[in-house]
Amino acid sequence: MNERLSKLNTGLLADRKITQLMAITALTFGYFSIVSKDIFFTSANFTSMSYQIPEIAILSIAVMLSMLTGGIDLSIVSISNAAALVAAWIMTGHISKSGYESNSWIAIACAAGIIVGLLAGAVNSLLVAKLNVTPILATLATMTLFNGIAIGMTDGVSVSGLPEQFMRVGNGTFFGIPTPFVLMVIIAFAVGILINRTTLGLKVFLVGTNRKAAQYSVMGDRKVIAWVYLISGFLSSLAGLIIASRTSAASPDFGSSYILLAIVVVVLGGINPNGGFGTVTGVILATAVLQMVSSGFNALRFSQFFYLVSQGGVLIFVMILNVVLERRRTSRSISKSLRS
Amino acid sequence: MKLLRRNETALIIAIILLSIVIGLKSPEFFTLANLFDIFRSSFVQLLFALGVLIVIISGGIDVSFPAVGIFSGYTAVVMMRQFHWNPENLILPIALAITIGIVLGGVNSIAIASFGIPTLIATLGTSGIFRGLMLTFIGSSFISDIPMALDKFATADLLKIQPAHGTLARLHVLIIPIVIITVLVSLLLNRTMFGRSVYALGGGVEATRRLGISIKRTQAKIYMLVGGLSGLAGILYVSLQRKANPYDLTGSELDIIAAVVLGGASIMGGYGTVFGTVLGVLLISLIKGNLILLGVSGSWQRAAVGALLLIGITVQALNESKKAKNRRVATSDEAGE
Repeated sequence: MNERLSKLNTGLLADRKITQLMAITALTFGYFSIVSKDIFFTSANFTSMSYQIPEIAILSIAVMLSMLTGGIDLSIVSISNAAALVAAWIMTGHISKSGYESNSWIAIACAAGIIVGLLAGAVNSLLVAKLNVTPILATLATMTLFNGIAIGMTDGVSVSGLPEQFMRVGNGTFFGIPTPFVLMVIIAFAVGILINRTTLGLKVFLVGTNRKAAQYSVMGDRKVIAWVYLISGFLSSLAGLIIASRTSAASPDFGSSYILLAIVVVVLGGINPNGGFGTVTGVILATAVLQMVSSGFNALRFSQFFYLVSQGGVLIFVMILNVVLERRRTSRSISKSLRS
Repeated sequence: MKLLRRNETALIIAIILLSIVIGLKSPEFFTLANLFDIFRSSFVQLLFALGVLIVIISGGIDVSFPAVGIFSGYTAVVMMRQFHWNPENLILPIALAITIGIVLGGVNSIAIASFGIPTLIATLGTSGIFRGLMLTFIGSSFISDIPMALDKFATADLLKIQPAHGTLARLHVLIIPIVIITVLVSLLLNRTMFGRSVYALGGGVEATRRLGISIKRTQAKIYMLVGGLSGLAGILYVSLQRKANPYDLTGSELDIIAAVVLGGASIMGGYGTVFGTVLGVLLISLIKGNLILLGVSGSWQRAAVGALLLIGITVQALNESKKAKNRRVATSDEAGE
């Protein structure tokens, strides 16, 4: 009964946040479409956006998972770069002179990349779940470590010249839809099912809502957290492979600004940074909003640094808005209960 | 026995061991010149680290201080060039940078103290805003002819010692103000009401409130103080580098947080010492500056810092869980975690 009640409650909450976000998405879209009709409102721009959205979206979903438990994973970008580097390294090592490479080596390379992601995720799990290190600090340390190992192994040089079959994944289409976009939809669905339809998902929300209560109910809160960071590592490695396949290169310092972006996306997507609430739909919508802002700024020839300002600004603004709304809601419910 | 268990002792041992290993491999490590170089590369880091220490003791985390630092330093230089202020002494640039730093710290204060945004998210956001604003509106180009006073200060040495053979050892005059500031921060934390409330805040927010300490006011003061320290660090960085590069200091937050955490400050808040932080900064500078003498390629620097940080937090976590276990044994009626 209680469980159903809480589900109903989060369902309603979800609705409000998602409606808000849909309105924001529509407004952003409308604004840039009107202001920059000839550059923003073109099919070329939409295609390019649908190639760029998946990377951020997958990384943001990874951050969302850890944030649902009340933690955070700052190492996602380092993991995705490390995974991409290992995969790229194996691929370029087995490429023939004519540029041909057997599909099995590509599969092995991708598998190796994913294993790197899982291992890195396991290190995070060990630190956060087993050793009880604060997630911020644990993932800050592993972020430096993974990134440092990647720089050390490659001397900071990027690996490029990946085989053509591999690049086709990141740049090709699947029934007319960009392949990365299709992959993102699949991953989003999978994570959506994971958090909404499985026991693990329910436990993730419980741990995030009240860790103490979860501990006392002996549901294995540490195991839940361990799984979350493992999955986060896995998703990051997938994002890394997609990035490598789209850009045909892997570099240890690619996308260092993505961590701010991913957190902005997650917070804008309505995920509570203290844990316990969030939806995949919110994250996808928020990614779309920010990508539109980025493309729109480009179309309007704003400086790229201004995009940085707006990212930070959106983050702070959304957080302040949440706080203000929350305060109003509490005071309203208090006065209501006083009246009755 | 108690002395041995202390974090500072472990750090001193680590520093000594590391020095011996490096010294055995390359004798030029044990020269006065190298020692003074390590000091010189630690000045700015230490100033940042003191700010971060205060934030971490209060139970928060700040990742915006490099942005605040370079914003203050760069903007001060740009303003001085714009208005053709070129005084002989350093008071003007330093005052400017500290003021800018306090204002930026005030922005953090508003986000954190007034609206209660989680510190990491707030400072991540403001760091993007500060950096972006600087690069968009103040300038994005490298300035090599910084005001004369700042330029001259880069080579202001307190003493120069020319050994019989080897390089000239220069001890920068900054060592005096830095020592004074370090002592002041230490006094501030240990001998004032403000310091007590910073520790109390890290120990527990609710308990602090019940003590009658204003959480908001304390937090606001903390982030403004950190802003001021970062501003000072930023202008000194510009001066020591003899150039103002707006892209500098990005990514340096990790080294400094690592130094503070290695210095024994507890990320959960409520514990941390200035002495530990000084040692942490020295250890990080030692590793970053002398990895090459060990025969390790410079590109492994970052990995080394990461590994150190990892070791530091693991040790801390293990100690913490041991303490928790002891506590549980002491009060056995309390249910386990």
